[in-house]
Amino acid sequence: MPPIRDKFTIHSRAVVCQDVELKGDITIGPGTVVHPKATIFAIAGPIIIGSGCIIEEAAIIVNRRKEVMRVGDNNLFEIGCRVECPSVGNFNTISTRARVHHTVRISNYCVIGAACLVVPTDDETLDDYTSIFGPAAERRTWSGRGRIQEADLRLKHAEYLREMLPKFNRLRRGDGA
Amino acid sequence: MAPTIHYYCPCQSGESVQMPPPPHMASSSASFHPLHSLFFCEECDAVRCNRCVSIEVSGYYCPNCLFEVPSASVRAEKNRCARNCFSCPICRSTLQVVASDPPDGGDGRPSVSLSNVGEPPFFLYCNHCRWDSAEVGITFEKPTGLAGTPLPLPISLHLIIYLTAQLQKFEDSAPESLEFERLKEHFEPFLRTSSLSSLSHVPSTSSHHLPTSSATAAASAALARDVPGVGKYNPLTRSRVGRDRTANKDEMPEYKSRMEISILGQLGSEGDGSDVEALRRMEIAEEIASLEQRWGNSWTTSLRTSDLRPLRIPLHSKVSKRCPTCRHILIKPEQKAQSVRYKIKLVAANYLPAMTAALPHTQGADATRRPQAKVPSASDDRNAGAMTAGKSYPFHLALTNPLYDPIQVRLSVQRMHVTAVTDSTAPEKARRTPFAVSLPTSSFPVAAFAEAWEYDDDDEMFGLEDDELGLEMGRTRDKDGKGKVKTVGVLEKRANVTVVGGEVVIGKEARGHVKFNMLVSYTYRSDDPLPSEDGVGTPSRAAVAKTPEVKTFTFYTVVDLGPILPREEKVDPDI
Repeated sequence: MPPIRDKFTIHSRAVVCQDVELKGDITIGPGTVVHPKATIFAIAGPIIIGSGCIIEEAAIIVNRRKEVMRVGDNNLFEIGCRVECPSVGNFNTISTRARVHHTVRISNYCVIGAACLVVPTDDETLDDYTSIFGPAAERRTWSGRGRIQEADLRLKHAEYLREMLPKFNRLRRGDGA
Repeated sequence: MAPTIHYYCPCQSGESVQMPPPPHMASSSASFHPLHSLFFCEECDAVRCNRCVSIEVSGYYCPNCLFEVPSASVRAEKNRCARNCFSCPICRSTLQVVASDPPDGGDGRPSVSLSNVGEPPFFLYCNHCRWDSAEVGITFEKPTGLAGTPLPLPISLHLIIYLTAQLQKFEDSAPESLEFERLKEHFEPFLRTSSLSSLSHVPSTSSHHLPTSSATAAASAALARDVPGVGKYNPLTRSRVGRDRTANKDEMPEYKSRMEISILGQLGSEGDGSDVEALRRMEIAEEIASLEQRWGNSWTTSLRTSDLRPLRIPLHSKVSKRCPTCRHILIKPEQKAQSVRYKIKLVAANYLPAMTAALPHTQGADATRRPQAKVPSASDDRNAGAMTAGKSYPFHLALTNPLYDPIQVRLSVQRMHVTAVTDSTAPEKARRTPFAVSLPTSSFPVAAFAEAWEYDDDDEMFGLEDDELGLEMGRTRDKDGKGKVKTVGVLEKRANVTVVGGEVVIGKEARGHVKFNMLVSYTYRSDDPLPSEDGVGTPSRAAVAKTPEVKTFTFYTVVDLGPILPREEKVDPDI
């Protein structure tokens, strides 16, 4: 296995704490907040994270495929989640301890509920506004009502974190070798 | 399956019998309870379980808003929260009242800053499954009267009352609810006459018709009470002087329901043709409401998920529990809904030693296997969890002393009387002696419970954990004093925990679970100075001249060590 070469392109307006484990070719867009103890492993292929994302503690974002893993804008990866999807859209919420397999492609405005396992055996694309909840990972479609308020809340959340996190955590500066 | 120990409560066994039932029978599991669910009455010196305590409701509260509901309103609101608490029909979590989105500028970003109060129409929204009440057409308009000042909450009190009034009207106008009201009106006069004429009727125990408040209940009980020397007053018969006195009070006119049953069937409340049609036409399984979604309703509703409605959250109650014999309060919660503490808490865990059982050979197997296989295979389970017939296994019992005084514990195994199975197929299947258990017979001490800060000086109290094999020479030497590892006897003493080892020998043809009853009796110094109070139950006094007195308490437990696996000739090695 070829050694993983670290190449981090972190935007100057992104807030990435020092305790984050980064490996491989990672690009982080403006306004994204990565909490300490998060893990982003671009093992086989690169990961590109958009703007305004919030990646909380113990979240694991892994790319084990050679293709680029694109994560869109304004997503929220809550504590303990594990995401291996080849593509994630915008304004999604992946709740605490959820697991999403590499066979799934997430579109926009999806909500993966807490502790849900989205592990289909075949490749699958989740439509916009899909909501997955419950221990059996049942699905239903969100009507989309309230999405503007939720988008506004996400922006405010990210803005608050960008202001507060640097006061209490050391930030990672510069690119890796 | 981990070994478990359950404690025996004698409430099921009747007056004279104090022995626990044989543990291998399925029906005896009703008498055995885990320690955390038992109570202890200090007056009677006896163990009480949830089945024998008498329960009184001390208050009602809504689990969502934690509002304490007075008992008069509970009945009026049909045991549900009158304020803003609703449960989602899809996932049964709590709904939130939200405002609609402001008009979209089109570029995804809000064109106007969202005001604190929000915009009409308001609706209910589930944060877990993202269902909202606008899907079933329930929305609310914001009433006027906010007077322009931004409120800390997005919803005003006006709106809360308006919301629940709207939904209550919706609930009350349901045909089932109207039918129920009609039935109640029909039966009320007959119930009233029958309750007044019965002599020894106390409304608080078994009332057929409940008065609307406790005050009227008390009043009617007082009026119905028998006054010696005065004849029974019956206002109804007095007016019916001319009528036939032998008219049977049980006769009542025929009841005509409000609507025909067939019409009700079409409304979807009966399992009629309309339901079959819906099932035939259904495309995905989620169209039909599941059982968990439907059984919270007061009456049967239609099967379709699209007909489910948000329900008001049912209230919970706080109960206080009393000993059935001496009426001493065992559990008394605090009055406030949000506090989880208790004013009086006489739980068995504060009086009886907590016991846990462990099979050391399984602990060793688990530790070595953990780093290797992610998916446990069948033969791993077999080796790890259970015992094989024809072998003997040691087991550990850890006793934890909750009292502030040291105790002396004596264990003894109850002889199991297993009736021989008169099975024609296999009469030799040994039901006589499936297993034999040996335990230390002498009494052993368990140290007192002390707070953690008391161990600061004494470093030897804490320290080594049990190693994986579990068979380690106890730090305090036993009478043997031998160097070899022993299995039966006191193994370890650590703070207020003592671990004793026993051994179980399993017969070759044994089946089922290894379950045996064990009698535990422990002796401790009690603080009671006077010997005048004599317990009703089991405490026996070994009077040691003067104070301090020594008390003994005895209780039965059942120890379940796990299933027995039949012996195999060859075990396949796994990949």
